[in-house]
Amino acid sequence: MTANRRDFLKASLAGVGLIGAGSGAPLFLSRTAAAVPAADKAGAKDTILVVIELTGGNDGLNTVVPFNDPEYAKLRPTLRQTPAQVKKINDQLGLHPSLAGFAELLQDNVLCIVQGVGYPNPNQSHFRSMDIWQTASLNENVSEGWLGKALKGLPGAPSFHLKSNNEASPLALEGAPVRVPSIATLEEFQLQLAAASGADKKEQRDIIESAARSNGGPGLLDFVQRTASNTYASSRRLQEIGKNYQPQTPYPNTPLGGRLKLAAQLIDAGLGARLFYVAHGNFDTHATQAPTHARLLTQLSQAVTAFFKDIAARGHRDRVLVMTFSEFGRRAKENGSRGTDHGSAAPMFLIGGKVKPGPVGEHPSLTQLEFGNLKHHTDFRQVYAAILDRWLGVSSKDILGAEFSHAAIFKS
Amino acid sequence: MAGAGVKNLDPLWAWQPYRPSTEAPWNLPRVGHLYRRAAFGATYAELQAGLKAGPEALLDQLLKGGPGLAEFDAQMASLAQSIARYNDATHLRAWWLARMLHSPHPLQEKITLFWHNHFATSYAKVQSARFMLGQYELLRRHALGRFSELLRAMSSDPAMLIWLDGRDSKKGNPNENYARELMELFSLGIGHYTEKDVREAARAFTGWEIQGTKAVFNAQQHDDGVKTVLGQTGNWNADDIVRICLEQKSAAPFLVAKLYRFFISETAAPSPELLAPLAQQFRNSDYDFGALVKTMLASNLFFSSHAYRTRIKAPVDFVLNIVRGLEGAIGATALAQSLEQLGQNLFSPPSVKGWDGGKSWLNGQTLLFRQNLALALTSTEDARFGRRCDPAALARKYHKETDAELVDFFLHLFLQGDVAAQTRMRLLHYQQQAHKLPAPVYWTQQDSADQRVRSLCHLVLTLPEFQLD
Repeated sequence: MTANRRDFLKASLAGVGLIGAGSGAPLFLSRTAAAVPAADKAGAKDTILVVIELTGGNDGLNTVVPFNDPEYAKLRPTLRQTPAQVKKINDQLGLHPSLAGFAELLQDNVLCIVQGVGYPNPNQSHFRSMDIWQTASLNENVSEGWLGKALKGLPGAPSFHLKSNNEASPLALEGAPVRVPSIATLEEFQLQLAAASGADKKEQRDIIESAARSNGGPGLLDFVQRTASNTYASSRRLQEIGKNYQPQTPYPNTPLGGRLKLAAQLIDAGLGARLFYVAHGNFDTHATQAPTHARLLTQLSQAVTAFFKDIAARGHRDRVLVMTFSEFGRRAKENGSRGTDHGSAAPMFLIGGKVKPGPVGEHPSLTQLEFGNLKHHTDFRQVYAAILDRWLGVSSKDILGAEFSHAAIFKS
Repeated sequence: MAGAGVKNLDPLWAWQPYRPSTEAPWNLPRVGHLYRRAAFGATYAELQAGLKAGPEALLDQLLKGGPGLAEFDAQMASLAQSIARYNDATHLRAWWLARMLHSPHPLQEKITLFWHNHFATSYAKVQSARFMLGQYELLRRHALGRFSELLRAMSSDPAMLIWLDGRDSKKGNPNENYARELMELFSLGIGHYTEKDVREAARAFTGWEIQGTKAVFNAQQHDDGVKTVLGQTGNWNADDIVRICLEQKSAAPFLVAKLYRFFISETAAPSPELLAPLAQQFRNSDYDFGALVKTMLASNLFFSSHAYRTRIKAPVDFVLNIVRGLEGAIGATALAQSLEQLGQNLFSPPSVKGWDGGKSWLNGQTLLFRQNLALALTSTEDARFGRRCDPAALARKYHKETDAELVDFFLHLFLQGDVAAQTRMRLLHYQQQAHKLPAPVYWTQQDSADQRVRSLCHLVLTLPEFQLD
């Protein structure tokens, strides 16, 4: 473990009162030691997971396209991608033409496509379905997310929600032992003070930080204090990270590109970061879908490809796994507004040096639809289970509440 | 603030009008609480006057609004014309924030904000300041009126027709977007309708188009066939679907629960029994929202510990509480722009569900943005706000001079003095020892004294208690 990482963890944990000033190190070391997966597991060497939420319901049928299926052309009279347009995966399947970068990653054997992912009795509400994916539970009113729970098994593992301005922290990260900080940019992740002198600044900082110290009381005040303590501790530590990150490959100048570049920077800073969460969207294409969908997929493909090339060039190729998901796919048949309404099953992408490249599972049938929607054959929790057990090295059964057979997303 | 146990709240007690008593006296914290929830915070003078006036008179004043509303509206309407004419989204946001800051009837703006969050429509897709203003006016017109009328009018609101694709929904090939959200988010709540209800109702909303700057009904594109929605069969149109939705048992409790979260508490979900009397009142009054607002704000529950500081301040409240408190003569444009970082960009909610609010307002980054914005507003050194919001000038206005007077002044203004004794002691200690800290040589004594007041005010605004609403 690097010194950087140790300091960061100590600062974060001290901030929320998980360790005391004097007794901190042993507790922290023993907790982390227990959480390191056994050496023969895929998650042995500080693996990193980057989750990309495709907000709004990505049209899976036009993302991974069964271009040779005659039913496809019938279902998508105006929105279809022709065999000449798609980036061919094989003689049946092709990627949307905007996913040029993903086609490269496929060539490079680092892109896995899990087809037909969903869950039983699919819900067509954005918000309910998003909650289901984020809590990994079909039950209502679950307050903890699957990643937040995973972090209980990785105590102190630095994790980040890299956010845009209008974005709250995701339910997926709730329940973590230390609240996962949301960050827009490193420059803005600092507490500013106006003071007469350095001594004055120190006095002010002391007052602000002591007011944020929680005495474990009930209610919202305690929540605010914990959030504040954790934030001040993280921001102090992150100030020391070099501002001038030089990526190994150019990133697209897009919000997603900027956030993944920040992820690469935080990975490279040696803090021991394990988990990143970013959102991209909005994919809710009820009308005039084609230009919006193409733009969003281009942004996704360019940003993820740049990130992966950058991080691979720094020697982290086998340490990083990127996962994309959306709350649902869209209706098989397009609507009268050149758009698509809410659907169900859709593909997930996994990118990393350890993934099993190529498609996993069949494309869902276009004739055996369920209420007009594609039927799933793989439960998303099978993908989560493989990631939790084999990548993060935490027990999927504890987090998902049941055993799920692993989706075949990793090289055996 | 005492109250019955959360689990065993007596609905009868909860919704009866609050009368001051020995256990629940009319005091500064209660005045501040009412001003935060029913307006956007108070000035020092307003707090003192509210304390004298008593709860009934103060609430009455907030419900009715002050004098000069018609004149204010006329002035703002003329500004709105140029915003619409030039499709100026930046000043659109500033315009509403200025309304919240200066309207003689802040409760009306607050409820309009509630409705904006309910019918959450974004400029990001609508791309028309004119239509966003039109929807704002619709929301404000009905803010304290009948929800049934508002919901009916929303079916043909141009901004909504763009936002949820109603204008593209045609006979034979309906678009489900509006019909789904009408049931899920606007009237019933998830679980109270089926996918089939959504698909059938979508047919009833077909035929609305936008021509020029107006919504127009095109009978050619309307599906006038028979539909079955929520158990009722007929050749329903948009108004019929709204009527059918509002006839459902789940409609009134759904809206009442949402207002409960807005006015009473985000922390504990209310039991159906607690909400039942209000839901009944709401339904029986043909969804008279103004009456519902009044019942809630006047209630024992509202003035109890179950409501006090049980919400996280929304960004709009955070900034307006500061600016109102400091009596800042501040331009609304920079202030409105800063709201985007704090996570509440007006006229641009993140999704049709609106802002989640509650704990989700605060994460690492937004907390730092809040603290840094409080600094920018109070330091007088930020180019966006300058000296127009100066705590030192305010303290002079109210003749607060000694260290103890100053500490108590800002604690009263922003937190009504309700902080731990230790917190007050720390601030007082800071203020006292700050005299001894070195300062730049070119500062006069007055400069140093003013700087101390500004720092003190900023420190008060960074207290965790100030994040609570």
